[in-house]
This record gives sequence, structure tokens and C-alpha cells, in this order.
Amino acid sequence: MADFLFYLFAFLTVLAAMGVVVNRNAVNAAMCLLLSFAGVAALFTMLDSGLLAFVFLLVYAGAVVVLFLFVVMLLDVQGGDPRKPYQPITAAAAGVALALLTTGLLSLAERGRLPGSVPAAAPGFKEFAARLFTTYLLPVEVTGFLLLIAMLGVVVLSKRLETRGAVK
Amino acid sequence: MFAAINLSALQAAAGTNQWMAIYPELMLGLLALLLLGLELVLPKAPRALIPTVAIVGLVIVLVGLGINFHTAFLNRDTFAGLLHHSDGGQFMRVFFVLSAILVCILATVTLDRQPVSKVEFYHIVIVITAALMLLVQSNHFVMFFVALETVTVGFYILVSYFRTSAYSLEAGLKYLILGALSSAILLFGIVLLYGVAGSAGQQGALPGATAEPMNFGALRGFLAANPDNFLANIGAVLVLAGVAFKIGAVPFQVWIPDVYQGAPTPVTAFLAVASKAAGFAVLLTLVLNVFSPLQEVIVPVLSVMAAATILLGNLAALSQHNVKRLMGLSGVSHAGYLLVGVIAGCREPLAVGAVYFYLLAYLLASFAVFMVMAHVSGSDDADQDLEHYANLARERPFLGAVLAVGLGSLAGIPPLAGFMGKLLIFIAAFKAAAYLPSLYWLLLVAVAGVVVSIYYYFGWIKAAFFPAWRPPPMAGDAAPPVIARVGLTAGVTMVVLAFASVILGFYQGPLGAWLVTR
Repeated sequence: MADFLFYLFAFLTVLAAMGVVVNRNAVNAAMCLLLSFAGVAALFTMLDSGLLAFVFLLVYAGAVVVLFLFVVMLLDVQGGDPRKPYQPITAAAAGVALALLTTGLLSLAERGRLPGSVPAAAPGFKEFAARLFTTYLLPVEVTGFLLLIAMLGVVVLSKRLETRGAVK
Repeated sequence: MFAAINLSALQAAAGTNQWMAIYPELMLGLLALLLLGLELVLPKAPRALIPTVAIVGLVIVLVGLGINFHTAFLNRDTFAGLLHHSDGGQFMRVFFVLSAILVCILATVTLDRQPVSKVEFYHIVIVITAALMLLVQSNHFVMFFVALETVTVGFYILVSYFRTSAYSLEAGLKYLILGALSSAILLFGIVLLYGVAGSAGQQGALPGATAEPMNFGALRGFLAANPDNFLANIGAVLVLAGVAFKIGAVPFQVWIPDVYQGAPTPVTAFLAVASKAAGFAVLLTLVLNVFSPLQEVIVPVLSVMAAATILLGNLAALSQHNVKRLMGLSGVSHAGYLLVGVIAGCREPLAVGAVYFYLLAYLLASFAVFMVMAHVSGSDDADQDLEHYANLARERPFLGAVLAVGLGSLAGIPPLAGFMGKLLIFIAAFKAAAYLPSLYWLLLVAVAGVVVSIYYYFGWIKAAFFPAWRPPPMAGDAAPPVIARVGLTAGVTMVVLAFASVILGFYQGPLGAWLVTR
């Protein structure tokens, strides 16, 4: 049963991810992205990582994709890119990528030695929080500065200029 | 509920958080916040002093670092193994603060000509500097990635800072997309390494598996036990590819010319010097320490990259007329020489000091050139053509002399620091070639690259010193930009940079002794 569910969700994730790439309508692509995220969250749940699944749904599916959709609808893009989506160079690049991927998978099957199991039962909220505020306190503080400069950047790059008419 | 948390375990985990070990970074963080606070509370007129506050604050941190160079934390881990303090890390800390000072001085020259807000620029430069300092001392992939992302996000903003210029916005977008791609590649490599090295004590774990697979020391132990593990090798190569994006090594150099041209001149200098130096400091840690059991795979990969980087950087720079693109592409070739040093470092300890010395010489020469560029460029920061340098030496002999010293040092002309840097790297590579014969070929490529680079560096000097005949200006032609007056701070800085480039070429003193014997 678990195997069946794993294949189901893995297939759903990959299929939806391909839908993001090949879809020419931005809204449809964003919805495919949402589906793909839901599949990944389901895979996390099957690995007993409830926390990760929850955060994934909340942050990516809940916030990021909604932001994408918001921007896409705000811009009101009609019809998409007028150029032909699949040119010969696209096919060539896809062929090379497929060949590389096949080589990689074959050598992995031949020579790769994988760990037999995955870490079961990832830590819950309590241990996660305790780690964040003890062992990983410094990265958390640095992330604070990261968010600060990101916010400043948005202000600086979008604020109305002091002198009008300077935009070339 | 609170009783359930084991307090003593938490205290033990937090006990290694010795904030004194990172006091320079803390001071920089406070300084950055102070700048924002000052802009909030000060009335309009004294706000012009804020850049001075930034520069003075950075100088104070630099002096503090110099006095306390041999800190009590040397060769120790702090923050539960997130950071490791070494004398190489101390050198890079000084290096980054020095380049931040120079970037701020450059910004005082350039920023006034543009309708942009000033204080945020200095704030972001200082935050990036602190993050760079943490990056080169990190000993754990979590710290490494957070610091790297802070640096990268800061650069996304700085590159598109002149947002009235279409070039700057284009550069920002390109840097954003390619930077995000490189971060994704790096992260994927880290995840693969985490996946194979983790799961200690579990059924089916690989030999040498560790409970802390993100820690550099523990990861190295795992790799030593499994040097032929396929996934671990892929992970290591992907991590190196992510770093190669930052240093602009071929085949990850595509972003360099456009981003260097569009970015404001101080940001171009910051990218060219500090960001690249951080990439190499990280590369030294990764190649010589963490991934050292995988050298069988890594050394050939890096060798091919180094040869391609030297050749492509030099050949592409030959045909450039825009001086910012020229600096970018010649910077690619410098990354190639430095890669030769990193490869040589696998067998010859002298090479590590040589790479540090090369970076210092590169800093002095590059900032001298960028200082002159900031004065010659007009209000359109992206349009800096070789033609604008015609008659520079006759009209402004001071700027011409500084330019000649900087370019001569970059080209590696004998009495200057850049020559000593190249010489040290080549000597180290020659010594290491006894163990790694492919280095002989790399040396050959590098020497050929140096010869080619003399052509375009001297083309620039020729444009500044020997006036060529030019058709008289037509009515519709845009007038060449007016060369800015050299202020006191900028003038003194240029004199110091030029003299340091000359003196370091003759006499390396205790610095050279420390670098060679470390």
C-alpha cells in the first residue's frame, strides 16, 4: 500500500512539474506548480516528516504560489509568448539532457551505493525549535539581516524617485 | 509543559555560542543598523555625513581586526561547530573589510551623480561584508548557505541599484536568475551529500556515516571512508559548480560581461574583488579540506575548468571596447590563474599563501583602476568606453599614472605586486607539477594567457597615454563625459593603492613571510 501511494504521489509530482514547464498559460502553469507542491508534501508525510509537509504546504503552496498567481493576474498577460515554444535547439538541448540523465542513472545503478534506509521520524516542532534557538542560533540571526536587506531592496528599487522625469 | 524541555541540554548546546568570536561581524551589523537609524532621526543637512560614518566605522573595525589578528579563538570551533577560526579566515576578514572601505569611497564618488537613495547602499554593503566574513569562516553547510544567500541577495539589490538605467536593471535581472540557478545547483549538491552521509546508526547506513553530515569535518570523514561513492562525487561536483558561478569560471561565466557592465561601478568592483575572493577562500576550504578524499575526481574537473577559463577570459577580453566589460572578462582570466593555484594547493602548501597574495595584489590593482574609472565615467555609468580615456594622461597626469600602475599590476609587469602574485602561483604550480603532471600543461596555458592579457591591458594604457588621430566631432555626436574633480579622500586612496602595488612588488615583508610559511 505504501509503495503504491509513493508511486502515485511521485508520478503526480513529476507530471505536474512537467506541466509547469510545458504550459503556455501562466495561470495554468502556476496551478500545476501548486499540484506539484501538494505531491511533494504528501511524499514528506509518507516519510513521517509531518513538520516539513506542513511547512511546505503553508509556505510554498499557501504563500508563494498565491503570490505568483497574484502577480500574473495583476499583469494580465494575454496569450503568452508569441514565439514558437519548441525550436530545434530546444529539442537538441532536451536530447542532450536526456542522454546525460540516462548515463547518470545507469552509472548510479551500476556503481552507486545508497544508504539502505532514510532517517525515520524526523524531529517534531519542539526539537526543531530548540535546535533553532541553540545550535543554529547564528544562522537564524543572519537570516534576520537577510530579510532586512531584502525588504530594504524592495523599498529602494520601487520607491518613487525624488526627481521626476529622470527615468530614461 | 516547560519541564518537558531538558534545560541543561539546551544550555550545553548554546554554551559554544561565543559571540566574542565574531565581534567584528557583530560590530558591522550594529554599524549597518546605526546608519539606518541616523537617517531616520537626523535632519536633512547632517545626513550627508552618513557615508563618512560608514567609512570611519569600517576603518575602526579594520584597526580592531589588525590589533587582534591573533585572537584567542584561532584554530578553534565555535557555535557548535558552525564556525572554524583559522589564520586564513582572519586574513580574509581583513581583506573584506578593506574592500568594503574602498567600495564605500568609490560610492561617494559615483552615487552623487545618480538620483538614488544613498544610505541604503552603504547599509547593504556593510551587511554583505559581514556575511562574507562569516562565509569564509563557516565550517558547516547550514551556516555556509545562509551566509552565501545573504551575500547573493545583497548583490541582487546592489547590481540593479541605478534603476533609472536600463542596463542596470537588465544586469540585476540576469544576476537574479543566474544567481538563483547557481544557488539551486549548490543546494542540490549539499542535499545529495547530506543524503548519502547521514543516517548514522540506522540499518543499512554506509560505513563512516555521521550524525552531523553538514559539518565539514564529519563530512570529510565520511568521504574518506567512501571516496568512490557515486552520489557523493556528484554532490561534491555540484557544490563546486555552484561556487564556480560565484568566481565566474568557465562554463559558468556567461553572466559576467553584462552584469559587470550594467552594475554601478562600485558594485562592479565589489563583485570583481570581494565576491570572487570569497569564492576562492571557500574553494580552498572545500577542495583542500572537505572534499580532499575526492581529489581523483575533482582535480581533473578543476584543471579543465582552469584552462578553459584562462583561454576564454583572455580571448574574449581582446575585442572589448567597454572598459567595464574588459575588466569583467579579464577578471575571468584572473579566476583561471587563481584556479591553477587552488589545484597546486592539493600538493604544495605554498600555493595557498600564493592564492592569498594574488588576491591581495588583485584587490590593490583592481580598486586603483576602478577608482580612475569612477572619475572618468560620466552620468551614464554603463557607457564607459576606451575612447573616453583619450588624452587622459595629458589632461589628468595623476589619474593616468594611477591607471598605468593598476593596469600594469593586473597585467603582471615585473616590479609590481601583480607580477609577484603570478610568480608565486606559477612557482607553486611548478613545484606541485612533480606530483600532478597535468599542471605542466596548465602552466603553459597560463603563461600564454598572461602574454595575451598584456595586449589588451596595454591597449587601454595606449588609449590613455598616446593620443590617436580621431575625426573631429560631428554636430550630432555625444560629447565625451567630463572627468570629475578628484576629492581629497579619493586622491589619498588612489595614492595609497598605487604605492602599495609598487611596494608589495619589491618588498613583501612580514606579510610575504607569513603567507609563504603558513
